[in-house]
Amino acid sequence: MIQAVPPASMEAMETSVSNFAPLEGGLQPEPALLEVRDLTTKFYTVDGVVNALNGISYSVRKGECLAIVGESGSGKTVGVLSILRLIQSPPGKIVGGSISFKGTDLLKLDDNALRDIRGGAISVIFQDPMTSLNPVMRVGAQITENIMAHEALTRRQARDKAIEMLSRVGIPTPAKRVDDYPHQFSGGMRQRVMIAMALSCSPQLIIADEPTTALDVTIQAQIVELVKKLQSELGTAVIWISHDLGVVARLADRVAVMYAGHIVESAPVDELYARPAHPYTIGLLNSLPRLDAKVKTKLQAIGGLPPNLLGELRGCPFAPRCAFATDICRAQNPALLEVTPSHGVACWHDRLTGGRA
Amino acid sequence: MSEEVLVQVKDLKMHFPIRAGLFNRTVGAVKAVDGISFDIMKGETLGLVGESGCGKTTAGRAILHLYRPTGGEVSFKGTDLAKESPEGLRRTRRHMQMIFQDPYASLNPQMRVGEIIGRPLRVHGLVKSAPEEKDRVTELMQQVGLNVSYRDRFPHEFSGGQRQRIGIARALATSPDFIVCDEAISALDVSIQAQIINLLEQLRDELGLTYLFIAHDLSMVRYISTRVGVMYLGKMMELASSDALYEEPRHPYTRALLSAIPIPDPPLERQRQRMLLEGDLPSPANPPKGCRFSTRCPMATDLCRAVEPEFREVATRHWAACHFA
Ligand SMILES: Nc1ncnc2c1ncn2[C@@H]1O[C@H](COP(=O)(O)OP(=O)(O)OP(=O)(O)O)[C@@H](O)[C@H]1O
Ligand SMILES: Nc1ncnc2c1ncn2[C@@H]1O[C@H](COP(=O)(O)OP(=O)(O)OP(=O)(O)O)[C@@H](O)[C@H]1O
Ligand code: SF4
Ligand SMILES: [Mg+2]
Ligand SMILES: [Mg+2]
Repeated sequence: MIQAVPPASMEAMETSVSNFAPLEGGLQPEPALLEVRDLTTKFYTVDGVVNALNGISYSVRKGECLAIVGESGSGKTVGVLSILRLIQSPPGKIVGGSISFKGTDLLKLDDNALRDIRGGAISVIFQDPMTSLNPVMRVGAQITENIMAHEALTRRQARDKAIEMLSRVGIPTPAKRVDDYPHQFSGGMRQRVMIAMALSCSPQLIIADEPTTALDVTIQAQIVELVKKLQSELGTAVIWISHDLGVVARLADRVAVMYAGHIVESAPVDELYARPAHPYTIGLLNSLPRLDAKVKTKLQAIGGLPPNLLGELRGCPFAPRCAFATDICRAQNPALLEVTPSHGVACWHDRLTGGRA
Repeated sequence: MSEEVLVQVKDLKMHFPIRAGLFNRTVGAVKAVDGISFDIMKGETLGLVGESGCGKTTAGRAILHLYRPTGGEVSFKGTDLAKESPEGLRRTRRHMQMIFQDPYASLNPQMRVGEIIGRPLRVHGLVKSAPEEKDRVTELMQQVGLNVSYRDRFPHEFSGGQRQRIGIARALATSPDFIVCDEAISALDVSIQAQIINLLEQLRDELGLTYLFIAHDLSMVRYISTRVGVMYLGKMMELASSDALYEEPRHPYTRALLSAIPIPDPPLERQRQRMLLEGDLPSPANPPKGCRFSTRCPMATDLCRAVEPEFREVATRHWAACHFA
């Protein structure tokens, strides 16, 4: 599965894209829990076609935490919503690719079968818990209902399980709080309730879309530690979307960096921070101040703006902002290829190997 | 940083009444800012951090007298703002500006960028003719890195970072000495934040500006600030030079806040010990007795729960409000 030296010809390169598998070199080749291939989603709007997701591929293994980072509008949310076909449609449409979850292609499942998976084997936590919690329903009833939709338990048993889940995520006096309404919880507590709900059917994969972005740092730290602990106890795989490269450093096993609807770099977390190869990733890391920096070094901002995804883009989407861009960058979009084992980069002149062009 | 005090804040209070009932009677008060004191030196960037709702925005607005403070005083260049006539306050305000978090909400969608930036010039009578205004707007747009040919566009035609530049140009129009930046970069993408921070620093150095920089991103605050103040439930908990605050925090709340910030360095992050705070922020309408932090503080004793600690100088130019600091 491991890609060796990038092939020289364009045709060979095209085929290698679909073979690209972000697997750890040399480790036990356990099959991936989730395998996303060439996923492409577009929005057909009155202004034209928005190319939100332009063929992304990645995999997540059991118990692994994959972080997805990237600029606002780069397709992080659309990418994970597409997995569960939660894209608003119209105007959105998944136009290509495959999503294999434990060997089943989710894109080919009928609606009923997919509903079983949602909230069951795969659950989602959003940035704003109020988008998924019903404000006029007691939280316990909501969790109980979700459990009963996926498991053959009596109401009594499901309620006990709901209380157990609330206790597990650190809600004090859960047997009492189970009958409260969402608005009776603080923002951080509500996010815990969401996590309890997400965990209630023992999912194998949790998708968390910026679950701590709206929270204070002290509460964010509580939630991050909680997810870390639950993940190691339960062996749940996590896809964690974030724009906070600090949180990602704490939580992730692997990181995928998105830009303009493409994954432009993907690597194990230590490797990505120590040896970033894509000019965008390097720019991102250089534009961050560090809390522990004793000497002040001037921030290196990335100039310019991300591209508009309306209409077709030519060449590498980062080329207009890239200091290393050459003619080939402006003409052809580089494929995501492994430059070293398990480190994928989509760049003609990646900064690790010097590039393929 | 000079030794000249530009803004002096003394025991500043801003309480908002809570009204209820048939007759809309005042039944209590949200003590959004509850007695804070500090000086802002000419040329410095004073950072202000703390959890959501601790009173940072209210403090910034009360300092500019956009709210009439309910207690204490603010002097700007030695003049007590409360003693100014409305006309005097209007003239002084020319020298004090504010940049907001959401540049979109603070820009009139029906006005062209050139008009938005030019408006304060007219309001304060700083230009005598249309061509003069046009020249000054051109100069301001160049100063903040906006393409001058965009002068006739509307705010919605710009990206978030560009809109923030428009907000900065508007704030600079009256040639202020002092600018309150309230979460000025929080809504922006990481790669754009650095552009705006570099711009703010460059303008500070070129124009001799002084900033009160309010933000919840402690890494960015450390980066840009000469000194940093930490607020909790309407009170200042600690105030020190950036380096002292981050290297030798004296207040347990500051320590908890710093330990909660993840650092973009995976091997280091794996080793770091977290000092997790229990529970949520109490309500500012009903702050805990004694030390306000005592309900969440891992070091709290009976003394803390009974007696409010004084905000005192625990080391040279390093203040903290903790019995054990
Ligand atoms: N309903 C929609 N109609 C049209 N375009 C859409 C729609 N939803 C998303 N898009 C577009 O798809 C692209 C990707 O959006 P997405 O929400 O995935 O970005 P993101 O990376 O999650 O950004 P953020 O960090 O701001 O959450 C954007 O250009 C967005 O404008
Ligand atoms: N005009 C107002 N009337 C009543 N209460 C107010 C008003 N403005 C602010 N408050 C309250 O005062 C407290 C402090 O609010 P403030 O906006 O100053 O906090 P902040 O530190 O800026 O928070 P954030 O980080 O969320 O911006 C909050 O409890 C808030 O609800
Ligand atoms: S492909 Fe070219 S333009 Fe794109 S990131 Fe690499 S060097 Fe820059
Ligand atoms: Mg999103
Ligand atoms: Mg505020």
